[in-house]
Parts: sequence; structure tokens; C-alpha cells
Amino acid sequence: MIAEIVGEFLVLFGTIFYFLSSLGLIRMPDVYNRMQTATKSATLGSLGVIIGVGIWAIGYVGSYAWLPKTLVIAVFLLLTNPISAHALIRAAYKSGIPLWEGSIVDKYGEYLKKEKEASEETKEGEQ
Amino acid sequence: MVKRVLAIILILITGYWLANALAQVPFGADKMLVGKYYLENVKEQTGAVNAVTAVVVNYRGLDTLGEVTVLFIAATGVAALLWRKKRERTAKSEGSVVLQTGSKLLLPFIMLFGAYIFIHGHLTPGGGFPGGATIATAFLMLYLAFREYEIPHNVFEPLEGLAGMGYVAVGLIGLIIGGYFLFDWIWQTWQLGHANIGRLFSAGFIPIIYTLIGLKVGTELTGIVDNMVKEPKEGGQ
Repeated sequence: MIAEIVGEFLVLFGTIFYFLSSLGLIRMPDVYNRMQTATKSATLGSLGVIIGVGIWAIGYVGSYAWLPKTLVIAVFLLLTNPISAHALIRAAYKSGIPLWEGSIVDKYGEYLKKEKEASEETKEGEQ
Repeated sequence: MVKRVLAIILILITGYWLANALAQVPFGADKMLVGKYYLENVKEQTGAVNAVTAVVVNYRGLDTLGEVTVLFIAATGVAALLWRKKRERTAKSEGSVVLQTGSKLLLPFIMLFGAYIFIHGHLTPGGGFPGGATIATAFLMLYLAFREYEIPHNVFEPLEGLAGMGYVAVGLIGLIIGGYFLFDWIWQTWQLGHANIGRLFSAGFIPIIYTLIGLKVGTELTGIVDNMVKEPKEGGQ
């Protein structure tokens, strides 16, 4: 009985986070902010839904077989989602997608610029 | 513009025609003639709980052999089309540290999951082809994360051929024992695993064939990826 309620609460919690993350996709101004909302809240929402289903099954189906499977899926998602988000954002930056016009600091861009200048200088020095 | 409108009209006519023809078949109606036989006899005839794999490997094994052949021909064709003597990776930049560490960490888990899929083909959804594709994605991930990575060709290509030959060999043993190609000799003649239907050691030769197919598909798709990410070396032929 308790497991059922906990599971249903977790699924509800997760779906609310799903909704918030899709809302963020519409509301946010640029790629980087959108990725921020999409990955964080969608990952958390998925964890809630997936583990919630596993816990719900203990009470409603009466089976303990679901929980380990859902836990494995949740851990896999928790490990892979940030990596894919990182790779997507890095690729977006490297292919020259601009930041939002309201953003103030771009340390990574400055670093890349400095590195490029340094490498050009050493090349000239060699020649 | 005229072309596009004509194309849309043509597609609409074709769609209407197909929908009209399919409207005669009500959804979910009992139209099964052969299907009923499969569902009723699959457990005692093949020992598999998963009826799809039983049909694919056991009842209609020749189709699967054909599919494996198609994939083999595709891999060979890609290799033949892109053949050059000197070829190497031309990745512009190395993957980031996060990507490299992550792919190193995840590699064994993905391989394990792929092996799980094709070993449990007779019990859970999946089988040789999805399992093999999962294993190939593990190698694709290495290719994307590391600039210098290359599969060990002297292991992969012989393994691919051996797995395909193993499939045919299992079928030929069936021909010797039971009288026709792809006869399930482990289940029908040896009666191995009759006591534990629904457990891992059951279902005759389905797990064996799916392990072979999984290895074959995994190595083949990896080989296709390997061929496609390499470009001819500058100055080479």
C-alpha cells in the first residue's frame, strides 16, 4: 500500500519535471540555456518516473522483479545523459553558435582565442 | 511547384487506395491461420518462451540465414567500395575528456548488455540482431571519442566469418541428424533442457544460433563503421 503511494507520487513528480523541461525548451532564449533546462529536469524526471514504476510494482503487481531492472535503467540514464549533453553543447559551441545577447562572460571563448594566438606565435617563431 | 503539387496528389491517391484496401481488415480480428499453430505449439516444439525468436530461428530459419547473408554482403560491399591501400582516420579533433572517460567507463556495460540481449533471445524480446547492433554501438562510441582508435582487424574479420560458418554448421549437423537443414537437433534429438522451459538452458539451438548471430552482426556493423570513418591518406593511392 505504501509502496503504491510512493511510486505514484514519484511518477507524478517525474512527469511534472518532464513538463517543466519541455516548457524550458520553449521559454529559454538560446541553445545553451535550453540544453540546461532540457537535460537537468528531464534526467531528474526520468529518474522519478522509472524508479517510481519499480516501487509501484512492489505494491500493485506484488513483484520485486521490476525494481532492480528500473534501477539499472535509471543508473544508466544518470551516467549517459550528462555526457551526451556535454558533447552536444561542446559541438554547438565549436560550430560557432552564438551565446544569448544578454550573456556577459565567455571565458571559454577567450581561452580558445588565447590558445590559438599562442600556437600561431610559436609557429612564427619556429619559422 | 507543379512537380511538388503533382507528387502530393499522387501520394494522396496512393494513400487513399491503400487505406481503402486495408479498411476491409478489421483491427484485432482473429485472422490467424498459421499464427495460431505457432502460439499453441511453440513451447513443446522449440522450448522457447519467446514465440518471435522461435519463428525466426526455428520454424523459418532459412529467412534468418538469408538476412545474415544480406548483412554480410552489405559489409563486404562497403569494404569493396571504399577499398584503398593506405587509409587512416581523419578526425579533426579529439573528443573531450568527459566524453573519453565516459565512453571508457560505459564500454563494458554496453558490451555486457548486448551480450545479455543475444544470450536471452529465447526468453526476452531481442535476439541476435539487436544484441549485435548494441555491441556495434559500443565500438562506434570508441570511434567517436578517440581519434586514434582502430578495431583489431585480425580478430574481428575471422570472428565474423567463423560465426557465420558456425550458423551453417549448426544447420548442417541438423541435416545429418534430423534429415533437413536447420533441424533443431539439440531439442528434438538430444532433448536437452526439456525440464526447464523458460530458463536459460532451454530452447534447443536458439541461444547457440543467436550467440553466433550476435557476434556476427556486432563485428560486421563495427566493420562497416570502421570502413566509413577512414579516408585515403594524402599522397597515398
